[in-house]
Amino acid sequence: MIEVRGLAKSFGDLRVVQDVSFVANDGEITGLIGPNGAGKTTIFRLICTVLRSDRGTTVIDGIDSRKDPLAVRRRLGVLPDIRALYTRLTAREHLRYFGALHGIARDELEGRIAELVATLRMEDFIDRRAKGFSRGQQMKVALGRALVHQPHNVMLDEPTNGLDVATSRAVRDLLRRLRAEGRCILLTSHIMQEVAALADRIVILAGGRVVLQGAPGELRRATGLFDLEEIFMAATQEAATEPVLAAGE
Amino acid sequence: MTMSAILTVFKKEMVDHLRDGRSILVSMIYPLMGPLLLGLMFLFVGGGMRVTDSGPLVVPIVHRDSAPDLVRFLENEGATMQDLFGDARGQVLGGRAAFAVILPERPDVTSESPLAVRLITNPSRVDSMVATARVVELLNAYQRLKLGDKLRAAGLSPDIIRVIDIQQENIGKAAGPAVILLTMIPPFLIFTLFTGGVHVALDTTSGERERGSFEPLMMNPVWRYEVLTGKLGATIVFTLMALASQVVAFWVMLHVVPTESLGLISPPGALRLALVVSVCLPLVVLAAATQLLISAVTRSMKEAQTYLGLLPLIPGLAGMVLALAPVRAQPLLAAIPTFGQTLLMGQLVRNEAVSAVFIGITAVATLTATALLLLLGFRIYEREEILFPQ
Repeated sequence: MIEVRGLAKSFGDLRVVQDVSFVANDGEITGLIGPNGAGKTTIFRLICTVLRSDRGTTVIDGIDSRKDPLAVRRRLGVLPDIRALYTRLTAREHLRYFGALHGIARDELEGRIAELVATLRMEDFIDRRAKGFSRGQQMKVALGRALVHQPHNVMLDEPTNGLDVATSRAVRDLLRRLRAEGRCILLTSHIMQEVAALADRIVILAGGRVVLQGAPGELRRATGLFDLEEIFMAATQEAATEPVLAAGE
Repeated sequence: MTMSAILTVFKKEMVDHLRDGRSILVSMIYPLMGPLLLGLMFLFVGGGMRVTDSGPLVVPIVHRDSAPDLVRFLENEGATMQDLFGDARGQVLGGRAAFAVILPERPDVTSESPLAVRLITNPSRVDSMVATARVVELLNAYQRLKLGDKLRAAGLSPDIIRVIDIQQENIGKAAGPAVILLTMIPPFLIFTLFTGGVHVALDTTSGERERGSFEPLMMNPVWRYEVLTGKLGATIVFTLMALASQVVAFWVMLHVVPTESLGLISPPGALRLALVVSVCLPLVVLAAATQLLISAVTRSMKEAQTYLGLLPLIPGLAGMVLALAPVRAQPLLAAIPTFGQTLLMGQLVRNEAVSAVFIGITAVATLTATALLLLLGFRIYEREEILFPQ
């Protein structure tokens, strides 16, 4: 479970995240949506402890990230928005590298890699170097390295961005399977249909603040609107937004 | 976990960069340029010395008939006369003659005035230095001989005009220029120390940040100093590979080039060169730490490349200065990283004695500077913005 409690982060005078609180439960997919610059990527980075918050904290499976950031990272699998593979390493070597960084023993690691190869259908390119990989292949490797240590909590930043229809569908199927296994899934996406189809809870951000959150039915009742895109537009336009930009967004 | 994480990063960087043509080029091929260049210099310069020092001295001469006694003396001393026709100055300037002895066309044999002997030399040509010195020595010997004859004829001892008795013993023979060339080995090594692992250092830090792969890497349960230590290890190994390939190439060069052309008693052997490598070891770590630090404080790989390209010039210039203006090895100089090692390496390649105390001071001073640089580097890498492309 991912708990975000009163999180705030500024870069210089720029307040990127302001008093953000929400909970992503186990066995659920939580969608974090918002316009560009709303602070989604910064919140992701704060949760996985590569950034330090100015105020507030994140608690992962009961572990406070300020107290034990390494323990938090062990419980998180993260697919960042930039896949950034090592072009001279094969797909298998990527998985081995990230698995080894999590301290997984060699034999166990090879077993997990074999499972991931089958799950993500990586048979054709698992022993090829990453240079020249298609977007879909890059995403599968990045997803594989995020899942190799079998994290209880999975965070995905724009997981289907730039993917073809078949690969996007495969990713959505995988997310449903992970949810069925009882894992906590937090994802960001600009594709409203995707969030509507997958998310059990939705957190809408604007100007670094949470402007609306709840189950899809709750959001519909609160706004009187049915379509998520309409709900999103209404929530983000109503919010008093300041011109904010997150690092890397 | 600490050692395990460091080793994991180290192994990944080694595999990654052993597959990278640029890393291999910089660490295995570029270092061969120094030995190749120095070998060619030895061959050309040393070749000139071989002819003039151990071979017969050829004396290019104009109007040899004007001084048959002098010519006879020179021939008795082993010199071979070679009549020079045309523009003697032009021939010396162009290197076709090492020097020229010009005698007057019609000497005044009745006069008591000395025989006018013009010696045309060209000190800018290293290959004529030894031959010129030998002919000057022979001409002076002829002068002393004739002066002695005159004094004895006048009933005086030749010693009457001698105030001091110079007894010069030239134990270096023609080694002077060769030693200067040997002294160029340390600057080449220093340059290699600061370039051999530079591509690895850059690619694993600035490059990784620029490509955006630093962020997913740091989402793993590892501390940043562990990741950096692994990267530092790979940079050190590539620097060592560069150093080893250059030292081996120097050894091959020194043993392939004919010994006589070196004008040396004996070139430094494998043991001496192994000592040179061991003296360099603290510098290897210093160079890698400096490269990582510069990569940290620069905003892009291009900016880092600019600074890292200039970095080897600083210690390299110190070595060049020492090659041209040698200084005595003093403990204070040992404490200056790169300078102390340059002095030590110079002593080793010239087969001179080295001081253990000097080696100790050099190593401790360099490792202390390295530790400080690493501490600073680790602190800088703790900054949040270091993970993201600028």
